[in-house]
Amino acid sequence: MSIEPMKLFFKEIKKPIKTAMIGNYAVAGGITQTDPDVICAFPITPQTQSVEGLSDVVYQGRLKAAFVNVESELAAMSYATAACASGARTFTATASQGYLLMAEALPMAVGWRLPLTMMISARAFNAPNLSIWNSWEYVLIDFGWNCIVSENVQETYDAAILSVMISEDSLFPTMFVHDGFIISHSVQQLTLIPDETVRKLTPKKMRPTIDPEYPGTWGGIVTPDFFTEGRLGLDVAKKPVLGIIDDAFKRFKDATGREYNTIETYNLENSSKTAFITMGSMCGNIISWMTKNKDVGLIKIRTYRPFPYDELQQIVQENDIEKLIILEKSDSLNNLLPPFAMSTATALYPLGTLFRCFIVGLGGRDVTRDELDIAKKKMKHVMDMKGQLYTYLGARESANKLHEVEL
Amino acid sequence: MLTEKQVKEILKDHCLNLRFHARGGQGGVTASNLCVESFDGYGVCQPKFGAERMGSPTESYVRLSANYDLVRSNEQVYVPHFVSVLDDSLLSEVDVTAGMPDGGWLIVNTTMNQNEVGMTIANKNLNIATIDATNIAMEVLGRNITNTVILGALIRVSHLFTIDQLADAIMTRFKGEIAGKNVKAIKRAFEETCLYENPGGVEIDFKTDTKVPWQQVSLSLPGYKELDPAGVWYCDNKIMRVGSDQVNTGSWGEWNIVWDEEKCTDCAQCWFICPDFAIITEKGEDGKFHMKGINTFFCKSCQNCIEICPVNAIHKEPKQGPGSCAVPEA
Ligand code: SF4
Ligand code: SF4
Repeated sequence: MSIEPMKLFFKEIKKPIKTAMIGNYAVAGGITQTDPDVICAFPITPQTQSVEGLSDVVYQGRLKAAFVNVESELAAMSYATAACASGARTFTATASQGYLLMAEALPMAVGWRLPLTMMISARAFNAPNLSIWNSWEYVLIDFGWNCIVSENVQETYDAAILSVMISEDSLFPTMFVHDGFIISHSVQQLTLIPDETVRKLTPKKMRPTIDPEYPGTWGGIVTPDFFTEGRLGLDVAKKPVLGIIDDAFKRFKDATGREYNTIETYNLENSSKTAFITMGSMCGNIISWMTKNKDVGLIKIRTYRPFPYDELQQIVQENDIEKLIILEKSDSLNNLLPPFAMSTATALYPLGTLFRCFIVGLGGRDVTRDELDIAKKKMKHVMDMKGQLYTYLGARESANKLHEVEL
Repeated sequence: MLTEKQVKEILKDHCLNLRFHARGGQGGVTASNLCVESFDGYGVCQPKFGAERMGSPTESYVRLSANYDLVRSNEQVYVPHFVSVLDDSLLSEVDVTAGMPDGGWLIVNTTMNQNEVGMTIANKNLNIATIDATNIAMEVLGRNITNTVILGALIRVSHLFTIDQLADAIMTRFKGEIAGKNVKAIKRAFEETCLYENPGGVEIDFKTDTKVPWQQVSLSLPGYKELDPAGVWYCDNKIMRVGSDQVNTGSWGEWNIVWDEEKCTDCAQCWFICPDFAIITEKGEDGKFHMKGINTFFCKSCQNCIEICPVNAIHKEPKQGPGSCAVPEA
């Protein structure tokens, strides 16, 4: 091959490097720098290049990791969980149906308090038709993993490193997500962090692991006498995690100069006291659109799990936000609202803030100025919380007729 | 043509957008990546999302600006100011000027002159640049790879970055000797580009948003009320125009596949192996199916049938005319 996408990572990175790469290779690079011991994943579009890039650095001898090929995502998650339990710093990655196939093994890393790290290139689930393109499938199942969502390539590269920090500080597995294709396959500019800085941010620390000197049964059966206490123990352990994530963001900023927060806000002191709230690549679309639409703001959720309820309430209150426009790339056929909107609504419940949820960008449909304009316009007329709280935006009812939008 | 100074001024608070048309395997995405890497400012590049197949028409997009907030959008490019076409066989197959504003530049790798290119273009307010990138690539690189070469022409008409900036980007991406040859080819393309500005002297309109509202929703297609409730594609259903029988895979190939009726024994092995149902069969009077020929609309010249035919009844011949031998063999 005349082009080597991972070339920059073949040797020690001594100083910050400005470059441009696709999201998946950037993640492969970031993970390389965290020096994982085991990489085990099964390829699926649009996640593929992340693992392919890692195989390249392992092949080049740059990364001394066990690169393990397995037959499925279920095997990948099972293997990765066990490897992590044995003390290895472990990375895996998946998307869509692969995430579903992992489902059986997903709760284990949480229960065993394993600092496993996983990348997700968000892609739709297959129903009623197959789609390889972007939707938010990851919001639909939640077993207690931490979850960091990225807007662009720089953020997803940084999230690769941050997730290792967060996993190992919280002893809970962390997934970091970017929108499939939109970020995974787009070339964007980013600045790489020197290897030495990453090493300092992600030192390998002692933690409880499977140990032949100290044998025990992991995941053994318990009677009703014990199970509830196990769950309660996990719940209590999860409480400080948002604080741990804030601390990781702070150390990351001190080391690299790049500032992240669990919730990031833009232009909240606007005239209409209205703000969009969403996560991922759409935030970029909104920020560009806001250069001409200064009468709305944006609340961008970077830490999706654990959901920052208190902080969101505080931000809405302090900025006197009266209306929130929730944009979500997933739907719910059964609930009052899709999952991301449901979390947001729960936080807003004591405040009585008005909101509506707009379902956009499913299966890779682009989210453009059209959707943002209409959402803003529709929100102007919302005066109460009556009726259906969500609507699909930019969907055809019949040929040349949009669902709930006048052309 | 805008001067370098004017372009710099525009970039301060606007985005300039590029689009590349190529065939899978020609490296259109690499060309757009190189633009981002060469540009002194903020830039992003997106391929047209999906699976890229050898020889199929591909698109990739670039947005460049000095204002970070403007390129921060992950929206697709609807209004390209500079469009580069790596393969002139695409001119008749794809609407290469879609969304282009008046004064935009269309850059084509071709041996045709501007009148011949102009005839295929409806908007007479566009500017056209032509370059015989294939010839330069063959002479300098020794291979028909035009993706870097065409960037020489792009630099000439756009001033978005310089040859030196592009050379730097190529040196970091490509291996030693290949990198040097590419830079040489780019310099030659810069010199040899032919420019045809529109007669009215219309400059690029970078202010008007020419995106068609809701074009991302493909309004003319059927809506949920008209589609099958379970998303099934029934074979006789012409509502949902999907599936490979909608795709002119025949344009992807670089060979004509020729069938010899005399030699054929009707064993049907080619029919089984053909990935695109390009083998035409007909039920004969004996009640059996017989091979009747090859459907050129679907045949992408993958050559599977040639390999499997036990009696050598199928062979290949190079395609003639513009755009032939489009994709370099790996
Ligand atoms: S070359 Fe043969 S097998 Fe391949 S598409 Fe054409 S007819 Fe089918
Ligand atoms: S494989 Fe050869 S002999 Fe058999 S049907 Fe095809 S062309 Fe005829």
